Amino acid sequence: MGVLEPLVELARGLGQTFRYMFERPVTVQYPEQKRTVRPRFRGRHVLKRYDNGLEKCIGCSLCAAACPSDAIFVEASENTDEKRFSPGERYASTYEINMLRCIYCGFCEDACPTEAIVMGDNYELSFTDRRQAIYPKDMLLEPVHVHTMLTPQKVDAGVFTRSVPEMKDPRD
Amino acid sequence: MSKQVTLTIDGKQITAPEGALIVDAAKMAGIDIPVFCHHPKLEPVGMCRMCLVEIGRPMRDRATGQIVMENGAPKIQFMPKLETSCTNRVEEGLVVLTQSEKANAGQKSTVEFLLTSHPLDCPVCDKGGECPLQNLTMAHGSSQSRFIYDEKLHLEKQVPLSELIYLDRERCIQCARCIRFQDEVAGDSVIGFDERGRSTQIVSFSEPGFDSVFSGNTTDICPVGALTTADFRFGARPWELDAQASVCSQCPVGCNTTLNTRREAKAGGNIVIKRVMPRQNEEVNEIWLCDKGRFAYHYTESKKRLTKPLTRTGKDRKVNRVSWEAATKLAGENFLKAKKNFVVLASGRLANEDLFNLKTLADQFGGKAVLYSHIGGGELTAQVGVSAGTNLGVLGSGSTIVVVASNLYEEAPIWYLRVKQAAERGATLIVMNPRETKLDKYASFVERYDYGQEIKSVQELTKKGKLGDAFMKAQNAIIIYGSEGLGVAGSASLATACAKALNETEHVGKANNGLIGVWERANDQGAWEMGFKPEDDLAAALKGKVVYIAGADPVGDDPKLAKALESADFVVVQDILENATTEIADVVLPAQTHVEREGTFTSGERRVQRFYPAVAVVGDARADYAITAQIAKHMNFIMQSANANIVFEILAETLKPFEGLTYEKLSNVRVQLPMIGRGDMYYGGTTYENTHGLGVHLSAGATRGETVRIPRAQKEALPKVKDTDLLAVPVSKLYHRGATIESAQLLNQRIGKTTVSMNFDTAEQWGVVEGAQVKVSFDGVSGEAKVKIDETVSAGVMLVPRGMGLAIREPAVAKVKL
Amino acid sequence: MAHVVLRHRDIPNLNQFDVYKKNGGFSAFKNAVKKMQPTEVTDVVKNSGLRGRGGAGFPTGMKWSFIDNKNWPHYVVANADESEPGTFKDREIMESNPFQFLEGLALCSYAVAANVAYIYLRGEFWQLAAFLDEKIAEMEEAGLLGNKILGTDYSLKIYTHLGAGAYICGEETALLESLEGKRGQPRVRPPFPPTFGLYGKPTIINNVETFANVPMILANGADWYKSMGTADSSGVKVFSLSGRVRRPGNYELPFGATFRELIYGEKNGAGVQDARQVKALMPAGASSSLIVVNGDDKILDTPMDYASVRTLGSELGSASVIVIDDTVSIDWVINKTIHFFKHESCGKCTPCREGTYWMQNIVHRIHGGDGKQGDVDLLLNVAKQMQGKCLCALGDFSAMAVVTGIERFKGDFDKVVKV
Repeated sequence: MGVLEPLVELARGLGQTFRYMFERPVTVQYPEQKRTVRPRFRGRHVLKRYDNGLEKCIGCSLCAAACPSDAIFVEASENTDEKRFSPGERYASTYEINMLRCIYCGFCEDACPTEAIVMGDNYELSFTDRRQAIYPKDMLLEPVHVHTMLTPQKVDAGVFTRSVPEMKDPRD
Repeated sequence: MSKQVTLTIDGKQITAPEGALIVDAAKMAGIDIPVFCHHPKLEPVGMCRMCLVEIGRPMRDRATGQIVMENGAPKIQFMPKLETSCTNRVEEGLVVLTQSEKANAGQKSTVEFLLTSHPLDCPVCDKGGECPLQNLTMAHGSSQSRFIYDEKLHLEKQVPLSELIYLDRERCIQCARCIRFQDEVAGDSVIGFDERGRSTQIVSFSEPGFDSVFSGNTTDICPVGALTTADFRFGARPWELDAQASVCSQCPVGCNTTLNTRREAKAGGNIVIKRVMPRQNEEVNEIWLCDKGRFAYHYTESKKRLTKPLTRTGKDRKVNRVSWEAATKLAGENFLKAKKNFVVLASGRLANEDLFNLKTLADQFGGKAVLYSHIGGGELTAQVGVSAGTNLGVLGSGSTIVVVASNLYEEAPIWYLRVKQAAERGATLIVMNPRETKLDKYASFVERYDYGQEIKSVQELTKKGKLGDAFMKAQNAIIIYGSEGLGVAGSASLATACAKALNETEHVGKANNGLIGVWERANDQGAWEMGFKPEDDLAAALKGKVVYIAGADPVGDDPKLAKALESADFVVVQDILENATTEIADVVLPAQTHVEREGTFTSGERRVQRFYPAVAVVGDARADYAITAQIAKHMNFIMQSANANIVFEILAETLKPFEGLTYEKLSNVRVQLPMIGRGDMYYGGTTYENTHGLGVHLSAGATRGETVRIPRAQKEALPKVKDTDLLAVPVSKLYHRGATIESAQLLNQRIGKTTVSMNFDTAEQWGVVEGAQVKVSFDGVSGEAKVKIDETVSAGVMLVPRGMGLAIREPAVAKVKL
Repeated sequence: MAHVVLRHRDIPNLNQFDVYKKNGGFSAFKNAVKKMQPTEVTDVVKNSGLRGRGGAGFPTGMKWSFIDNKNWPHYVVANADESEPGTFKDREIMESNPFQFLEGLALCSYAVAANVAYIYLRGEFWQLAAFLDEKIAEMEEAGLLGNKILGTDYSLKIYTHLGAGAYICGEETALLESLEGKRGQPRVRPPFPPTFGLYGKPTIINNVETFANVPMILANGADWYKSMGTADSSGVKVFSLSGRVRRPGNYELPFGATFRELIYGEKNGAGVQDARQVKALMPAGASSSLIVVNGDDKILDTPMDYASVRTLGSELGSASVIVIDDTVSIDWVINKTIHFFKHESCGKCTPCREGTYWMQNIVHRIHGGDGKQGDVDLLLNVAKQMQGKCLCALGDFSAMAVVTGIERFKGDFDKVVKV
């Protein structure tokens, strides 16, 4: 074992340090900075709307059935032309996801027949109370920019006659 | 047992009763043949072509008629075409292939054809999840459609056939199960097909739409989501529902039900009943349920439910919310004070356990136990009533059923169905009623009598003549008596006459023989067995007494009783809903409904059946038997009340007819045919399998060998009527203004206005016309009603419906004024 | 040769009672009722080899002998719901030779001991119904119908009944349902009408033309009748000729006459219009399998009887020969037949109700020029999928022309579809 041995080791270690000093840092300054997520990232769910603001969700409960952790609760009601939430016959009058239970597997997305529930890119979920972890429908629904797009909407009779809207955006 | 034949299905040798359809025989052997139009309770039609199979028959030599043998076995000749297994019956030596390539191709093609016009809106369909078409598509369908989606037929959706039943024309697969059910089983031909070919559609041609009290059953047997109930619409997905066995509390038939429940945000996170489904019991309701039983469950979640014990004290009758302890103490103290003035007034709304405790309390303190009912004669049904082994579903040729003074269709719809079917199987049906009823169509003999002459008619049964022969020579005879046009005394005399006729002809004390009362409530028979009796003059019996009322609303029902209770010393009411009587009571005690607790009902056929808790208790309500025990405690009398099971044990020890019964025995089941309610919903519909008990018959006095004691039949005390007088008689109506029906929003619409019926001549005599609003008065009661002209009513008679605001207890001379 | 069924073509005014009577009318019936046992009548018909003229060609005498004698009363029904496209023979018989038909009906009723007979006419024949009512009244007046006919113990009433114009009511069990006042939808067979027919009672149903043959057979004997036609198909047949021929109409020829005789005979069809070539034949109206001719002499020289036509891959059926010449594309023919069957499907069984509707969708695409090769294959597949699975014959009939049309005239479809 030579006398220089520790010094060589030290120099090698410092060399490593200096090398990384000039490389681009991997860390980001969260929460000031946020990393963009991958396109297929599975974050907090969003309930989508059609272009005219009507909800895509038809309250079929298939997401709840598919959910492996029983995190979703849906109750359905009937649309009327006076108070229309979704283009079909049926809409979700209650839609809750327990974010503490959710394992973000995306089965709900797969199960949805109208592409209403979509895993978004929001991963900032923090609660101070277990009750807060239950997201009701108004928190999950996609926000709108024009107030006339809010649901329920009053529509003309005879426009929305299909029980399940076809996968195209309905015309107004 | 009928002759058995041996046949081979899919290589499995099975035996089946001669005359059975291949599809049913296969089902019994555990082989599933897919079906849509076939239903084991309906006649075969062979329309849907789903059950196509290959059928081979032993070849016969044309000349000799002998079976041709080949290699030591009969030579089997297969038909060139596929055949429907739902129209071909089993034969000796038949060979059936249900899984061959050809048969599979046939079944697959039928599914494909059916799906071409199907909207595939399963996600929003109420049937989705328990849909035969869905299941059979999974089993036999193709994963890809060759039909262009945009070419799909678009038809009307959500067509209300009635306020109870919705039709979706797109989903309908034209299997005609609903139409055939209405024609063959219910006997109400009110729906049918219109148009032809691909335009074939279901229409209702009655006014009001789908005018049948059995309409809900069509939604059970509909193999797709074409017929759905307005009540359940979008209520939940079937897989989210829990199922709990129960017994219908609406009438004395005691239909077995399954309560589908679910926890709901709308209901504040409580578990609520979402729908009532039939539970198979071939000896009671088969797989059917009437609309009242199916839709009138909403009272259990009514806003008017009593939730806390209340007392009214002081001069100003201040209402206080008090603890159970305080309320029962107050009640107990007053009962003690009452001594002989103590009256317990209970109705058949209560379970056997409740009535037993109430009766024990009354007996202990020298009180009187009064049954709140307008029908008498129950002490006779306890003696000569039907007992073990009785099953209306097997009565046929050789049996005689007499229906007297009852319109079964309105009073006990499932009995109507069962009696009708017995008549269709060949039983002799004798209908005795002063006016036409729906059952007349199926009767061998229809006997019309004037109101007040019912006993004379019943006596015909034991005299020589057509009726007498049919009754006396019958192997089995059952008399079903009701209270059409009769009060307590009248119906009691009628029961006496009926019991006498049965006893004289020895139609008592054995299975399928005896007397059945068409009671007002679910457990009236149970109350009679305990020893409760209705009071002929109830008002007099209540005046100035200390009254303990359980499950009854005398104040709301009859102004005379209201007056009597005003002068009562002290009134304790124990009930489930707020009503006029709870408004005047000194103590109000909230009771649990039968869906919140355990207990048993005794049906009119004297079958004791268990019901089970399905939903959480509302408020602080307690079970009736427990409330009674708590009051008793304050009277220094200890009564069992830990749970219903224990009360029933004591009851069974005390009362002879209940001897040997336990909850365990009541929950025994046997295999029932046809096997319905398993995983194969396409076969029998969405009716539930019975896993919670078929119930047990009480023994009748006559069965136990006791001497039958029948009082002498009294003449009906009809008021003296002059030719110019109008006789008002009470009749029963299925949808009346009872608390249970009024809480059900959908049935509420069927109640209608208070109408009195009379024939044209009588109306003319009194100067009134159809639809006129008149003032009706009789026997110190008066009220408003609409006039309905009905030619089936005899002259000089006015029919007054019970439970519609005009308090009629017995026939009375009446006046009408415009 | 003198006509047998279309005798009115030889004798003017045969539809008048006196004229018919003068020409030997009612002699067979009088003789039968007075001197013959019912079974003897059946035997004569059986021996004559007469086969049902409605399409299925079931031996008539045998059908009559199947009547269930344990179950009473018996009924006889004449199927005058002539609705097959291309068939128009019964109407001519009933209009011009009504008494011969009525006499045949009466003879059958006597043979099976029925006291009531019904004539089920299609709804459009309302004038004919009134006309027949008059003729029945004339017979009653003459004592040939009614109570105690000709002083014997035999009584017979004949009633006419108008349908509502549905093709399916030509199917015997649907006809019975309709006659009973129910929806005209076929019943599941077996049981067959001779055991379970009208109101659940034994019933004989025959075509108008079948009945019209019976008096002549009874009058002239079974051997006389057998001397005409072929061994397998005895007697004469009224052929309804239509399509692209010069002289469409009804022609009575003995079985075994060739297609050429019918189409080209001067007294018959007198050749194809514009002297074009025969491309295809539909020997049994719209429900036929198409016979490929394409000018082939051998096929035109095929004798028209049940067995021979079967060798060409078709059925003689009701012998309503539709001639298709080379100006017509088969996709047009199929478009027409499917449209008809879709309109006439009763909707009771799934394959027919959904299959005809689906086929119409596809054929509209093809015929409208929007079809692809895959559509033709799909159409063929759907049609084959229907075959052998329907409740009654209508479903199979509707697929018949489609399957044979596509299989035998593929070229016509290749021309109209987009590649």
